Amino acid sequence: MNLTNTSHPGIHQEDASDHSLIPPCQNACPLHMDIREYVSLVSQGRIMEALQVIRMGNPFPSICAYVCTHPCEESCRRAQVDKPIAIRSLKRFAVEFGGDRMIRTEAETKYSDKVAIVGSGPAGLACAYYVKKIGYPVTILEAHSDLGGMLRVGIPQYRLPREVLDTEIQRLTHMGVEIRTNTRVVSLDLLFELGYKAIFITIGAHQSLRLGIEGEESPGVIDGATFLREVNLGIKPSLGRRVMVAGGGNVAIDAARTAVRLGVKHVSIFYRRTRSEMPADPQELEQALEEGVKIKYLSTPVRIDRENDRLKMTCVRMELGEPDESGRRRPVPIKGSEFTKEFDSLIVAIGQAPQTPSDFGVRIGRGSTIQVDPSTLTTNRTGVFAGGDAVTGPATVTEALAAGRLAASRIDDYLQHRYPLPVKETNEKLSGELLPKTIEMIRKIERSEPLSLVGETRVKDFETVEQVYGWEAAINEARRCLRCGVGVEILFQDKCATCLTCLRVCPYHVPRLDNTGNINIPADQCQACGICVAECPAKAIVLRKPFDRRQVSEELTHTIKLATESKNKPPIIGFCCQYGLFGTGTLSRLWRGAKAGVTIVPVLCVAKVEANHLLSAFETGAEGVFIAGCGEQCARENTTYWVKQRVEKVRKVLRSIGIEPERLQVFTLGTAVADPTEELDRFIEQISALRLSSVIKEEAIS
Amino acid sequence: MIVAEQKSLEEIRRMIAPYPRVLILGCGTCMTVCNAGGESEVSFLHNSLRLAEVRSGDGIHTFTEHTVKRQCDPEFLETLSEKTIDVDVILSLGCGIGVQAIAEYLGDIPVLPGVNTSFMGMTKESGVWDERCAACGECRLEDTGGICPITRCTKGILNGPCAGTKNGKCEANKDVDCAWILIYKRLERLQQLDKMRRYYSPRNFRAIPRPRRILSKVEIATGESDG
Repeated sequence: MNLTNTSHPGIHQEDASDHSLIPPCQNACPLHMDIREYVSLVSQGRIMEALQVIRMGNPFPSICAYVCTHPCEESCRRAQVDKPIAIRSLKRFAVEFGGDRMIRTEAETKYSDKVAIVGSGPAGLACAYYVKKIGYPVTILEAHSDLGGMLRVGIPQYRLPREVLDTEIQRLTHMGVEIRTNTRVVSLDLLFELGYKAIFITIGAHQSLRLGIEGEESPGVIDGATFLREVNLGIKPSLGRRVMVAGGGNVAIDAARTAVRLGVKHVSIFYRRTRSEMPADPQELEQALEEGVKIKYLSTPVRIDRENDRLKMTCVRMELGEPDESGRRRPVPIKGSEFTKEFDSLIVAIGQAPQTPSDFGVRIGRGSTIQVDPSTLTTNRTGVFAGGDAVTGPATVTEALAAGRLAASRIDDYLQHRYPLPVKETNEKLSGELLPKTIEMIRKIERSEPLSLVGETRVKDFETVEQVYGWEAAINEARRCLRCGVGVEILFQDKCATCLTCLRVCPYHVPRLDNTGNINIPADQCQACGICVAECPAKAIVLRKPFDRRQVSEELTHTIKLATESKNKPPIIGFCCQYGLFGTGTLSRLWRGAKAGVTIVPVLCVAKVEANHLLSAFETGAEGVFIAGCGEQCARENTTYWVKQRVEKVRKVLRSIGIEPERLQVFTLGTAVADPTEELDRFIEQISALRLSSVIKEEAIS
Repeated sequence: MIVAEQKSLEEIRRMIAPYPRVLILGCGTCMTVCNAGGESEVSFLHNSLRLAEVRSGDGIHTFTEHTVKRQCDPEFLETLSEKTIDVDVILSLGCGIGVQAIAEYLGDIPVLPGVNTSFMGMTKESGVWDERCAACGECRLEDTGGICPITRCTKGILNGPCAGTKNGKCEANKDVDCAWILIYKRLERLQQLDKMRRYYSPRNFRAIPRPRRILSKVEIATGESDG
């Protein structure tokens, strides 16, 4: 599959303007990924398409699927109802089941200006990917023997399997990115002399900060970054039986869990604040605790004495004082609370900083970071750009990828002598908070987590801890998404008779009368169930266009056209819900049933099927029409009620014009795995019988 | 609001039978609100009629549809002239007033009523409408706590309740509240029970000259306004 072309039929970017509210997940994502869209595609079982959407916004989705810190989940509005959508796990599902591994990316070289990328962490790799895709020859220069930067030497294997990283790097090689490992760049001038026209510095932040206490030079004291690097490069440092880790960030947790996997019996993390101030990912922390890591809060070492090959650590208890610049409360030592503990080694993981060679000649700012213009990533040297941890200090993989992507487009601007285009202003607004009365009406659905290896098993090696979802779990999890911002809008305010039907039928109490007497349907509260659209007597309400779907009537016309062309007779038309497993396994079985003349009109929730659609289906000559919805499983409210109302209305018409009302049926499936084909077969039989009897009747009359 | 109910499909088909080209005309006001003849119902009826045509096999009819904001004002009907060029009949889903307004406005085309105009009332809940006013022309709601005995009492009596009230319900229909019990309770809340003790003389059933007309302007003699 070639994904360089972004104009996939059905999947589009230009239609983004149809959704006038940005969901909070997308807003929180440094890469601004279209999360709502791919989660929706997963919920329909359309994994390949979900992966396409993911790949459009992310050069290395498989890496993010393992290590992203998912700020999207932090801002997910579902958290206001119960728990956020497990977005990262869903991405991992899409990446693995959608066959990301098999995707090869092509890139053509269009320009001759060479670009050098110093460092091969996520920012460097992303920049190389995009610069190459735009069409420049790219060389990555890496000091270590393998590419990946922190992905390789920082993140432990149990969090990111190296095959995943290798696959992504192979993809870059395949695209024609030149790679030079074991090449430490000492001078940028030399690179310019070698003919590179633009340089992107992304050397990361590998220099560990020091505690600055007495005895820190003693043997047995190692810094976190070095420790992880050694382990990741295959060296097995001997740590002894008891290890102390000082720090409270992700590196501290990684170091502790890595130590456990190296066979250390007692690993204790000493953190000077409390759990609520801890910058580490709560889930990682939880997993560390499961693996037997002990954590001592409000304690820090103040002095190290080496006695009999052991470290005698003098520690002090802390209490929290006034908030500091970071907004967290400053730890203050408690006088006279010193205590000593013995350890075999100490891993210091209290933070890292970049270490930029002074020969680079770039301006360095606070915390040894490279100073850049945040919107262009340019440094004080012409043609030299910088990004990633080297600029921001230690940050996340996703932020680095975003920096790499930004750098690529800025480098392109620079090489094409274009004034950098300002970020396109959109009139898109962010969807706001859900109102309490909306929240109250949204059904609580438990978040399902993918399985993890059991604590005792996983500490024996560096196997990936978190497993991937199965189909059913992934789809059910994706169905919890509230689809923020794709709600309805009153398109024809002049048609609106202010009859208040929408206000009365909405299961979520969303429409409201404003004080000028007009109906208002706030898009950030709307759950896009579609009931009001179908019930509006003035046809004044429309749903914002579904992601990549036609509206039901267009879908109906299209499907019928296809069916007529293939002269399928006698047709049975079924409106089938696309959400859930029903949209995949079952639907494919129904499609197989299409030999018997069953034509499926795919719909995103049967609540959107109007009485008129059912009549239109009959009008095309269908002998039978059915609606197959997911009943109890529907994540929206009142769906079945409204389907039944409309079916009864249509049956009344059928009866009055001499069509047997049994020709219109509703199938409500109890479970996702239930096989509806049996019910459908019965329906087909029934229809054939009706057909036979009507033929006999006609013959009798003639 | 005026409340109506769409006529049965059979009746509508019988009415339109002689006319091959039918314009189904909706009304965007009361008929939309009471779900009898708004754009959505127009379109549903359109589809139903077409389907009936297809199934019956005679197929002489063609249908078009259109909805105006309000059928009972001629200004809203101005757009109709172009819609009715190739039309033999207008099937109006407006109330009885709408049907007549169109008949008055378009002298040459027959107009058929697609709904039975039923009463003046209000929405109880989505899909349920209740009668509230009989347009008697002598409103007594002041004396009855804002509850109309003429529409809400089965017998329409002015001095109730009658002996047929039982547990607050009407003897004629156990699901219907006795209007006079409602009136009593409401007056009690308003501390106006003395109004129950008065005798109300019967309405004048004799002669309501029809059609009624209301004038809210003063007649000005010719020539006077020019000065």
